[in-house]
Amino acid sequence: MRRIYLLIPLVLLGLALGQTGPSYIDAELQRLIQAGGQSYANSLLKQAPDQALCSIHRNKLPADVLGPFIEAQRQTIKYPADGKLMGDWKQGDAIFNTLARGNCFSCHVGSPRNIGGNVGPSLEKYGQRGTSEAVQKYTYEVIYNTWAYFPCTVMYRFGHGGLLKPEEIAHVVAYLLDPASDFNTKPALKR
Amino acid sequence: MGRFWRLVGAVALALFSLMVLAQEEDDPAKEAEKQKKQLLEQSGGILPSDLYVEQGEQLFKAKRGPKNASLEACDFGRGPGKLEGVVGRLPRYFFDTRRVEDLDSRIRTCMIRLQGFKPEEISRSEVVAIAFYIASLSNEQPVVVRPLMPQEKKLYELGERLFYLRAGPRDMGCATCHVTYVGKRAGVLPYSDLLKDKRAASHWPAFRYSNDQAWTMADRIRACYANLGMPAPDFYSEPIIALTLFMNVQANGARMDLPGFIR
Ligand code: HEC
Ligand code: HEC
Repeated sequence: MRRIYLLIPLVLLGLALGQTGPSYIDAELQRLIQAGGQSYANSLLKQAPDQALCSIHRNKLPADVLGPFIEAQRQTIKYPADGKLMGDWKQGDAIFNTLARGNCFSCHVGSPRNIGGNVGPSLEKYGQRGTSEAVQKYTYEVIYNTWAYFPCTVMYRFGHGGLLKPEEIAHVVAYLLDPASDFNTKPALKR
Repeated sequence: MGRFWRLVGAVALALFSLMVLAQEEDDPAKEAEKQKKQLLEQSGGILPSDLYVEQGEQLFKAKRGPKNASLEACDFGRGPGKLEGVVGRLPRYFFDTRRVEDLDSRIRTCMIRLQGFKPEEISRSEVVAIAFYIASLSNEQPVVVRPLMPQEKKLYELGERLFYLRAGPRDMGCATCHVTYVGKRAGVLPYSDLLKDKRAASHWPAFRYSNDQAWTMADRIRACYANLGMPAPDFYSEPIIALTLFMNVQANGARMDLPGFIR
């Protein structure tokens, strides 16, 4: 009984510090990571609770975790200030086809400028899905936070991870959906 | 030294002619085999990795460092000076350092303890060359890495957990590519299966013919972090040893192909 009373303040302290989420890195793993050097440790020890969940479940979330996980990922999505989900496809072209920016071509077939990889599904003729509000929204959200649709997958959460700004994601959406975009008018390069 | 430079010349010429690439094979192992054969024909039977082996042997046997000693008394786990097959038994626990060490960190330990080098004086390229020499004496030997000591068991378990850890702005984690998307390509090479394909861990250290580099497992692991914009763990550090231990255990029973020859 005494033990429990002693624990309560500790738990409250944890809550106050915002350590409410699940954690994967215990004291021993933390010590190991710190042995890898300062900058390595700094980046790994910043693991977020959702990354911890994917680590704990080895990228396959059990049914009871899945629902709340997806809901929480949805909540993180932010949209461009002007509300437009389709921007300028030419700017999207540069992002899609640049390794240090979107790097989309590395994992997806569809670009007429770069030979695509096959880690993700082929996006060839993606524009055939049309430009309805639902298609725009889905495409934008998948790129902003992939885990809202494919939990723990390998594709980066471009908006969530701060890799692309909402406006830049809208440009990429236009590159995929605009009927005038090279992505839809020119043939995809394949291996 | 004369023989060494003759080798360098022959290999440089052969590598140059490799640039004129023929139709590439789809299976990277077959493609590497083809490239190796071509290179051997053009250089008169010498591979670039032979140069590193030769250089490493010289470094290993020369009396060097403040203590003017060779590395011949270094114990890689089978006793001082016994080098045959040691690469397939690392990482393992060493009583003298009271640490689990891999090939790279053990070489470094001996350069410090036997030769008297300061840690900051250790040259990475020398360690790699020495690793190639020792690897050449483990070719075709089996991988037998069984964590039995408590320290080995602990580090194996931590290595496994590190392997599944997701972190960073790109949600990086070894398992996403090397478990979930095995066989898929985001570049020229398909992601290899580090849990089931025993070849993956049993051909390191390796020479990479696509960019003319000699890499140990540590270089490979660090490159995988860097490719996803993550800071890599320091050379010789425990995270590298833990991941290597985890991966080498998956390769248990494999016959080693050393030094490796890969794209
Ligand atoms: C590291 C590889 C990778 C990168 C880089 C990547 N993706 Fe993906 N992408 C995937 C995978 C894998 C999936 C499927 C998710 C799953 O099944 O788990 C996917 C799914 C998608 C989908 C949904 C496909 C559909 O048919 O509904 C779209 C759209 C998409 N990606 C666009 C992009 C864009 C745009 C970029 C660049 C900004 C990008 N991807 C970068 C791997 C990647
Ligand atoms: C974005 C995908 C990706 C991630 C994440 C990744 N790697 Fe790799 N890795 C690659 C690619 C590409 C190669 C080169 C092709 C191959 O051999 O798999 C590679 C090669 C390797 C190899 C050599 C395999 C062989 O057959 O020679 C090892 C070992 C390795 N990675 C370990 C790791 C470790 C450990 C981690 C986590 C710290 C990691 N990788 C994370 C993509 C990745």
